[in-house]
Amino acid sequence: MMASFCHFPASPPHQSLSKLLSPLRRPRPHPFLPNVLCIFNPNRNRIRAGSQFRRLSLSSSSIALPPEELDSSSLGDLTRPDFPILHQEVNGFNLVYLDNAATSQKPTAVLKALNKYYESYNSNVHRAIHSLSAEATDEYEQARTKVAAFINASKPKEIVFTRNATEAINLVAYSWGLSNLRSGDEILLTIAEHHSAIVPWQLVAQKTGASLKFVGLTKEEVPDIEQLKELLSVKTKIVVIHHVSNVLGSALPIEDVVAWSHSVGAKVLVDACQSIPHMVVDVQKLDPDFLVASSHKMCGPTGVGFLYGKSELLSAMPPFLGGGEMIADVFQDYSTFAEPPSRFEAGTPAIGEAIGLGAAIDYLMGIGMQRIHDYEKELANYLYLSLLAIPNVRIYGPAPSETVHRASLCSFNVENIHPTDIATILDKQHGVAIRSGHHCAQPLHRSLGISASARASLYFYNNKKEIDVFIRALKDTIDFFISFQ
Amino acid sequence: MDHAALAIRLLNAMPNPNSSSPFLSTRCRPSRRPLSLSVRCLQTPNPTPAPAPPPTPGSLLPCSAVAAAAQEAPSANLPRLRLRRLVDEFRSLPEPIDRVKRLLAYGSALRPFPEAARVSSNRVVGCTAQVWITATLDDLGRMRFAADSDSEITKGFCSCLISVLDGALPEEVREVTPEDFGDLDVVGMPGRANSRVNTWHNVLISMQKRTKASIVGGKGRPTR
Repeated sequence: MMASFCHFPASPPHQSLSKLLSPLRRPRPHPFLPNVLCIFNPNRNRIRAGSQFRRLSLSSSSIALPPEELDSSSLGDLTRPDFPILHQEVNGFNLVYLDNAATSQKPTAVLKALNKYYESYNSNVHRAIHSLSAEATDEYEQARTKVAAFINASKPKEIVFTRNATEAINLVAYSWGLSNLRSGDEILLTIAEHHSAIVPWQLVAQKTGASLKFVGLTKEEVPDIEQLKELLSVKTKIVVIHHVSNVLGSALPIEDVVAWSHSVGAKVLVDACQSIPHMVVDVQKLDPDFLVASSHKMCGPTGVGFLYGKSELLSAMPPFLGGGEMIADVFQDYSTFAEPPSRFEAGTPAIGEAIGLGAAIDYLMGIGMQRIHDYEKELANYLYLSLLAIPNVRIYGPAPSETVHRASLCSFNVENIHPTDIATILDKQHGVAIRSGHHCAQPLHRSLGISASARASLYFYNNKKEIDVFIRALKDTIDFFISFQ
Repeated sequence: MDHAALAIRLLNAMPNPNSSSPFLSTRCRPSRRPLSLSVRCLQTPNPTPAPAPPPTPGSLLPCSAVAAAAQEAPSANLPRLRLRRLVDEFRSLPEPIDRVKRLLAYGSALRPFPEAARVSSNRVVGCTAQVWITATLDDLGRMRFAADSDSEITKGFCSCLISVLDGALPEEVREVTPEDFGDLDVVGMPGRANSRVNTWHNVLISMQKRTKASIVGGKGRPTR
């Protein structure tokens, strides 16, 4: 492995600001978003050579950098000014936030969108005739349209807003699962699934008599795709699988998994929580039956997520939660129900938050998901190799190579030092925020023979300097505990 | 009860040599350095005490804690007295790294935890680190605790809790609230909310639940 990584990846090629806004990075026009291009990079014509500061506008934000820094600025350097929370001290140290797999930070554009909603047009949606409600409804539905465009869904109504990915998975488990699973049926998962992708299916399996089957890990510590193929059978009714692992940092070949699953008549639910924020995800290409994600992991507010479901599947599914909005008519002893997506959006939704998610998508599309992905690949390799160079550090998941690309996260352990101890000292003595624990993946940790691990996870607003700070802090922390021992 | 008698009461309230408590007196560990309490425990405590010395394996409460307790009325709640001294002890260390080191020293002062006791029934639920606790009622009707963890900082929390609660009456253990520890400015205590990273909170609750179970089990003194 080391032979293929005898040097750190080269610094990002020097690029003028205009290349960040090149047509290659603009989203391709979508049939139901004729004006999509005007949402992105509205101020790119304002870039003026020779001015004291060149300005890059991303959505409604401006980033100003001294000219001498432009050529050497990474995407992290360029975007950091958009995130107010990153510019603070924690315990007397500049914050280094490396817990993005748990939740991401929010750019000013999203904060402004939330503020504007509550200041200007907060009103319940789909209900009233007055102007505020009409505006709120329009913006809420526009957010749905943006989500659909973001993942290349064929229609906005294939997007159901939920509280988060966990609720979205529960929706599928209880609505689709209870209607379609019988005794003897099998639900296929990997051992590396998040608890939110396991527990709902355990509950539904208990009610229906179906059983859960788990795909194990290869010696490279990725889910064993060959074993998955072997476990697929006519008994398999649904495959529940992550796109990118929040612990291992590995990505699965979802297109292939979907093709194999469909060949035996099984549906596929893809947990895209760790992929959608970081890369292009195209549901037409991947062809999952269901796909879930959470807003808060992709620069959007907490409290909203979404389920993508193929139209014909959603139309055949009974309601999950009952209440207002999801009904057509309500009588004393029965009710009729609305069409999807309303059928699955009972009660007043997280309106401002959905609009905030729309603003987050605008912001991300302004950068370009491919650019984010390319930058994070560099960060991923730099992080992995920097950690690997520290003695007695064990990193979980596959080693990066020409064919294996890791996400920009590393779960690891240091011999004889508990990850909680590591994380505590990193925070208190260095201002570095990482996660410690089981990362909502206890079966995976047991499979790896550990009870907990530490995890550093990056996003596009991080940079190599922060990785360097983390590595130095980690070495100091290790030295501290060794001296104590 | 005069001060000397109270000091003797405190010393007698210390761990039973036959218990599994981590804080055994020197009577149980004759090979250890003898505890030199006889002079210092009768000293009048300085109103602004200097940082207390770190605990040593087998040592009892910091001497200033015993001396202060000797000043109190006989009916004083020992856990609260000990907690007050613990708070003062950590407050006397202005640098966070020194508080960490003190916490780790507390953790290293825990007695070895029997391997046979690392069973799921002794696990404290809801912690990011693995924590095991045992609680028993001794022949004098006092609670005796032992603990261990795979995290050194968590061991430190457990040790601090045990230093406060070990040897206390069951009702004294149950009267302590998480809020009572709110003033304990120890590195690694992430706040007052009940969450799985709030190990000390979970350990305290577990100690109290096990105390209640010990009483209900009919061992020692009857339930009040």
